Amino acid sequence: MAKILVVDDEFGIGELLREVLSDDHHQVVLATNGRQGLQMIAKEQPDLVFLDFMMPVLNGPGMLKAMMEDPAMAQIPVIMMSSLPKVSVDERAHGHVAFVHKPFQIETIMDIAAAVLAGRKNPPD
Amino acid sequence: MSQVPGQSGDGPRLAKVPSGIEGLDVILKGGFLQGGITIVQGKPGAGKTILGNQLCFNHAAAGGRALYVTLLAESHARMLLHIGNLEFFRSSAIPDQLLYVSAFPVLEADGVRGLLALLRQEVGAFKATLLVLDGLVAAEKAAASDMEFKKFIHELQTHATAANCQMFLLTSGGENPEVATSEHTMVDCVIEMRSRLHGWRAERDLEILKRRGDGFLRGRHAFRISDAGITLFPRFEALFATPTNAERVADTRVSTGLAKLDDMIGGGLPGASTTLLLGPSGIGKTTIGLQFLSQCTPDDPGLFFGFYEAPAGIRAKAAALGLPLLDNLDQGVVEFLWQPPTEASLDEICAQLLISIRARGVRRLFLDGLGGLVKLADDPGRVGHIVAALIHELRALQVTTLISKESDDLLGSLSVPPASMLAVGSVSDIADNILLFQFIRLRSRFYRSVAAFKVRDSRIDDHAHLFEITAQGIVVDTSPDRAEAMFLEAAAQPRAPDSPTGTLTHGQRPRGE
Repeated sequence: MAKILVVDDEFGIGELLREVLSDDHHQVVLATNGRQGLQMIAKEQPDLVFLDFMMPVLNGPGMLKAMMEDPAMAQIPVIMMSSLPKVSVDERAHGHVAFVHKPFQIETIMDIAAAVLAGRKNPPD
Repeated sequence: MSQVPGQSGDGPRLAKVPSGIEGLDVILKGGFLQGGITIVQGKPGAGKTILGNQLCFNHAAAGGRALYVTLLAESHARMLLHIGNLEFFRSSAIPDQLLYVSAFPVLEADGVRGLLALLRQEVGAFKATLLVLDGLVAAEKAAASDMEFKKFIHELQTHATAANCQMFLLTSGGENPEVATSEHTMVDCVIEMRSRLHGWRAERDLEILKRRGDGFLRGRHAFRISDAGITLFPRFEALFATPTNAERVADTRVSTGLAKLDDMIGGGLPGASTTLLLGPSGIGKTTIGLQFLSQCTPDDPGLFFGFYEAPAGIRAKAAALGLPLLDNLDQGVVEFLWQPPTEASLDEICAQLLISIRARGVRRLFLDGLGGLVKLADDPGRVGHIVAALIHELRALQVTTLISKESDDLLGSLSVPPASMLAVGSVSDIADNILLFQFIRLRSRFYRSVAAFKVRDSRIDDHAHLFEITAQGIVVDTSPDRAEAMFLEAAAQPRAPDSPTGTLTHGQRPRGE
């Protein structure tokens, strides 16, 4: 069992991920923007972060940059999520270990979470 | 705030920002007011989200920065999938010039005050010059009171002006969106998008309910959603209430392509005039039109705009008659446009017609026929106004036009007044000239006749003449004597008791075409 933080501004995405990851016996906490996400990391010390790209207040790349600059957060694996192409995300965000394209299938989320938590270097995209 | 110093008045005016949707900018006489708020309302499926996205992409393409904020609306991923195939979509605009964010968590947690704070922050941080808020009804429901919601709109209006950011608030508009709500009084512009059924056919229209500070084209305007996104067709009779150029009466004569017919009408059709070919189905109106277009040259190009016969059929007909029209078509001297009178809107067709005419400098037009235009009208009361506006514009563009109209009577005996037959208010509104075509039924044969009923500023031969459709095209009798004799004989022959006017019964068809 792992503690997973989902950071997404869209209604329904965080709730869906909480449902499916909880079914896999993970503990899930939610935030709706990057600033909240950083606060939740400090408070909850998650093992994994699902991070949306476009969000108000502080976007995904902004939150990821802040994590990378903080030694206490830099080692937490981050999976970026976006409806943008992977290449666009990779150009603008640095430090994530995997990418999930939206809209996604539940199996994709389960597989990629399992792979990242198992420490695989090349989790499925 | 950007201002344009005194135009027609003596005070400064707000600049306008084009929407990039041509028809909409025409209706708005240039675009939306800079730094203003527009409410776009309509029931689900009306096209609000596509319009909002199209505005954003067009704004980004023009160098602006747009922010699309959703409340309880379609997920961004699904929305981008839906609009991703539309022509205005440019993935490269996201996320540097166009950003999609959801404000629903903030609305849910902090109400409309929190939403307002978030919008201000995001507009400032992204330096957005255009904002779309999709799902205003969620904010209305989240507001603690009507007063709080009004304050939200008012403060947003203030911020839009201060930040020089155009804002569009998309809403399903409650149970009865046609009833003006208090927020309508607080914003610069209110747009209503509708989809209506006319029989089994659905038609979309858009109306500007309110526009502060400047004029606009009033009334309902048809629009279409296609791969190009939203295409708007300003109400034709409003757009061309006055022709774009002063109408000029040309003193030239334009040949019909039939020497004898030209003789009958005073040496040809008056230039830039409109002629109705009025007669029954099968008598040869389309053939006359083809002969007319056969006279086109590169300096005198033509257009066949048809509703009934497909291009292949017209080519076959021209070939069978030995007309030089095929060469004209192949060389681009004559263009053929075919529009089945089923799904298009009347405004769209008229707009398309004028675009084609302007693009090629068309001087000869054959419109086959008026009945197709009438069938496209969702409101028969508009037809007369639209056709009149079209005809005035064609005259202004110096186009000599033939329009076919099928008479209700299979023989073409003109048993109903022309105005009723044409489904227009006044014949003189649309026709400078009228040529009447009629079958004469004599014993076992049907003979064709043509008469000049009215020709503008011309001395005409007011006799009917017989004509035949031969392998070399139409041949008009040089003398009216045979026609005269046949009309006399037909009038004297006994009539069937069930057809006192001598009209054809179903199943009887004249031979010929």
